[in-house]
Amino acid sequence: MSAYVTLTINGAKVKAPEGRSVLDVALDYGICIPHLCHVRGLTPIGACRLCIVEVVKNGKSKVTTSCTLEVEEGMVILAHTEKILKARKNIAEMLVAEAPNSRAIQDVALRCGVKEVRYPFRNKDCVLCGRCVRACSEIWQSKSLGFVGRGKERHVALPFDKRPEFCKRCNACIDLCPMTITPCPGPMKKGEEYLCGLCESQLSMAEEIPDSCIDCRLGEGFSCIRKKP
Amino acid sequence: MTRLRSIEELTALQERKRPLDKGKATIVIISSGTCGRACGSLSVIDVLKKEIKRHRLGNRVRLRITGCHGFCEQEPLMVIEPGNIFYCHIKPEDVAEIVSMTLQDGNIIERLLYEDPASGKKIVREADIPFYKVQDRVVLGQNKLVDPTDINDYIANGGYSALIKVLTSMKPEEVIEEVKKSGLRGRGGGGFPTGRKWEYCRRAEGSPKYVICNADEGDPGAYMDRSVLEGNPHAIIEGMIIGAFAIGAEYGYIYVRKEYPLAVEHSKIAMQQAEEIGLLGENILGTDFSFDIKIARGGGAFVCGESTALMASLEGKVGEPRPKDIHTTDKGFMDLPTNLNNVETWANVPSIINQGASHFASKGTSKSKGTKIFALTGQIRNTGLVEVPMGATLREIIYNIGGGSANGKRIKAVQTGGPSGGCLPEELFDLPVDFEALTEAGSMVGSGGMVVMDEGTCMVDVAKYFLKFLIDESCGKCVPCRVGLSRMLEVINDITEGRGTEEKLELLQDTAGTVSIASLCALGKTAPNPVLSTIKYFRTEYEVHIKKKRCPAGVCRELIHYSIREDKCTGCGTCLKACPHGAIAGKKKKAHKINDDKCQKCGICEEVCKFDAISIT
Repeated sequence: MSAYVTLTINGAKVKAPEGRSVLDVALDYGICIPHLCHVRGLTPIGACRLCIVEVVKNGKSKVTTSCTLEVEEGMVILAHTEKILKARKNIAEMLVAEAPNSRAIQDVALRCGVKEVRYPFRNKDCVLCGRCVRACSEIWQSKSLGFVGRGKERHVALPFDKRPEFCKRCNACIDLCPMTITPCPGPMKKGEEYLCGLCESQLSMAEEIPDSCIDCRLGEGFSCIRKKP
Repeated sequence: MTRLRSIEELTALQERKRPLDKGKATIVIISSGTCGRACGSLSVIDVLKKEIKRHRLGNRVRLRITGCHGFCEQEPLMVIEPGNIFYCHIKPEDVAEIVSMTLQDGNIIERLLYEDPASGKKIVREADIPFYKVQDRVVLGQNKLVDPTDINDYIANGGYSALIKVLTSMKPEEVIEEVKKSGLRGRGGGGFPTGRKWEYCRRAEGSPKYVICNADEGDPGAYMDRSVLEGNPHAIIEGMIIGAFAIGAEYGYIYVRKEYPLAVEHSKIAMQQAEEIGLLGENILGTDFSFDIKIARGGGAFVCGESTALMASLEGKVGEPRPKDIHTTDKGFMDLPTNLNNVETWANVPSIINQGASHFASKGTSKSKGTKIFALTGQIRNTGLVEVPMGATLREIIYNIGGGSANGKRIKAVQTGGPSGGCLPEELFDLPVDFEALTEAGSMVGSGGMVVMDEGTCMVDVAKYFLKFLIDESCGKCVPCRVGLSRMLEVINDITEGRGTEEKLELLQDTAGTVSIASLCALGKTAPNPVLSTIKYFRTEYEVHIKKKRCPAGVCRELIHYSIREDKCTGCGTCLKACPHGAIAGKKKKAHKINDDKCQKCGICEEVCKFDAISIT
C-alpha cells in the first residue's frame, strides 16, 4: 500500500498516492490541464509548458509545470488563474503557428481558447515534444532516437541519420507523435495554413468551466491521457 | 614543497613566509591577467626581466606578476612599491627608462603617470587615482598582493588563516551560522542566501556530497569571475574547503569555461600546490577532514552557467536545464546533494570567517550585504572592474568611478545584469545597486555586467542584439524560450526594418510576458528583460520606429538615409574613394552626392569625412 497525501487543486481537496505528478492526479480527478509532451509512464521533461500551474507556498505563488511536480501533503495548486490561462493560451498559439498540420495541436489550441493566430505560420513537421525520444529509450530501451543540436538547430535524429540495428521497428515513436494525424479538413499546404476550429461547438461548456474535463474527445489518436472509467 | 601535517605547521609557514617581500627593497607589480596580456604585458615583463638582470638588481627588486587589478583601460600597468607609484600604458621601449630612472635612482617618469581627465593633473600614487579611491576592494584588492602561481604569496598575506580558524575552533554548524549572519548572497545572479543554501545541503540526505564552483561566466562584457580566478585562485579554493567542511562535502569541482585558458591554468597550478602542501586531499592538515577538488572545463555553452545544466554537463550529458522542483541541494550532481556557488561568492568566504560576519554585514544595504564586483564596459571612459559596497548608486559607479562618457556624448542608459538584465535610463541612475531595487526596476544585478550606452545607441537595436544572443544560446528544450524568443525577434526585426505596427508591439509584449512566466529555467525567464525594459523606459524610441519609420539614433539601417551636406562638403573626394559600393559621385572641389540606389548604409563615408559633411537622417 502506498501512502497517500492530500492536496487542493483549484480549491478541490483531493487525495493522491505519493510520488504521483500533479498533472496525473488532476486528470484522474477529471480536472482538465491541457498538455502535450507528457505521456503517462514516461519521464516528464516539462518541455511544452502547456501544463503550467501556480503552486502557492507560504503565501507566495510560483509557476511550474504540473507534469514535473510531485504531489506533497498540503500542497495548493491553482491550475486556471488568469495569469496561467493567458500564458497557456499564448503557448498554444505559438505551438499551432509552429505546426498547424497536426490535429492534436489544433485541438490543444482550441482547448486553450486560441481564436486567432497572430504569428506567421511556420508549418514545421516537429515541435520537439520529445515523446518519441523518451518512448524509444524508456519503453523499449532502444535509444534509436535522440535530440541533436542546440537551440535553433535542435532536432530529433537517428544516430548518424541512419536507422540503427537496435531499432525494433515498434512504431511507438509514430504512435505517440502528435504530428501524424492531420487536421480534419485535410493537410494544409505551405502558405495556406489556418486555425481549424471545427470542434468549437464542443467547447461551449469548456469556456465557462475551464477546469472540468468535458470528455471533449479532443485529439483522438493522440488521446487526452485521462483514465477512462 | 613539503606536506603540512598539522595546523601548527601552516601557522609556522605563514610566519616564515611573511617577510618574503620585506627582504627586498623594491617590489614591481605588473598586472598580467588576460586583459593585461592582450595589451602587451608579456613583452613588457620580458624586457623588464632582462633589464633587471642587466642592471644586477635581482637582489634588490622583486618582480610580482599578478592578475588583473581592475583598471583595464590603462593596461599594461605597473605599481612600484614602496611609494605606490603607478605607471600606465607601458610599452616595452619604456622599460629601460623605468629601470634606470625609477628603480635605480628613484625618480618618477612624468610621461607614464596617469592623467586625471577631470583635472588634467598627473597622479603619482595609485591610491590617489579617483578610479580606485571610491571603491571598496575587498576581493579584487587582493589580486595586487599575490602572484597567483605561487601559493607562498597567498600564505604570506595571511591566506588560509580562515581555514585554520575553522578547523581549530569552529563546528560546521557554526561556520554556516556565521555565513548566514553575514548576509552573503549568491554573486552569480540569483542572489540566494549562501548560508541557507549550505544549511539545506548539510541537512540533505545522501553521500558523498559535492560542492561546485561555477566559473562558467558567459555574459557579454562581464569578466569578474575570470579576473578573480586568474588573479587569486587560492581565495576560491580556501572558500571551497571551508564550504565543504561546513556542508560535509567530500568532493569539489571548479567548472570553468574553456575560453578562459589562463583561468584554467592558474586554478590548476593553485590546486596542485594546495594538494602538495596538504591543504587538499586526505586528512587536511592532520585533521579527519578530507576534501578534493577537480577542474572541469565547460564546452562554451552559455546555458551551462545555469546550475542544473552545469551539473548535467559535469555528468557528461547534454547541458540542458531540468525543472528545479527538486532543489540541487537535495539532488544535484549525480542525484546527490550538491552545493553550487559562484566564483565571487566563494572568494568572499575567507574574509567573512577572518573578519567576522558583522564586519561583512556592516557594508551594503539592509537586504544585500557586502561588496560586489561589476564589469564596467561600453561607452565609458574607465573600462574595467570595480568593486563597491552593495547599495552604491548607478550614478556613483558610472560617473565617479567610471569617469562618465568616453566620447563626450550624453550617457543614455546602462544595461545591468548581462543579456538577461534590463536597460535602465538616466533618470534611474540614483537607484541603489542591490538585488531588490534593480529587480523591481525591471533589470537585475545578475553576475555584475554593466554596459553603458550613450546617445548614439538605438535601444531597439540593443534589445535586438541581446535577443539574438539569447536565441543562439537557448538550449531549445522548452517552447516559450525556443519559439517565443524567435517570435520576438521576428517582431523586432519588423520594427527595425520599417514594418512595425502598434499591434506588433503589443504582440511583442504579450510574447515577452509568456516567455518570462512559463520558461523552464532562468535563462528563459529573464530573457525578455532587455525587450521589456527598453519598451518600458524608451517607448518613444519604439514609437518613432513604428510611426515615423525612423531610427532616432541613426543605427537601424533600413530606417536611415545618408546624404551629403552641400554647405559643408569641400569636394575633397575622400568619401568618393572610400565608398566600397561606388555610391558617391561628384567633381573635385564641388559638393558630392550620394546615389541612394547604390548606398548600402555602411557608414564608411561618415567615418572618413573630415568636415562632418555626411548627415544621417
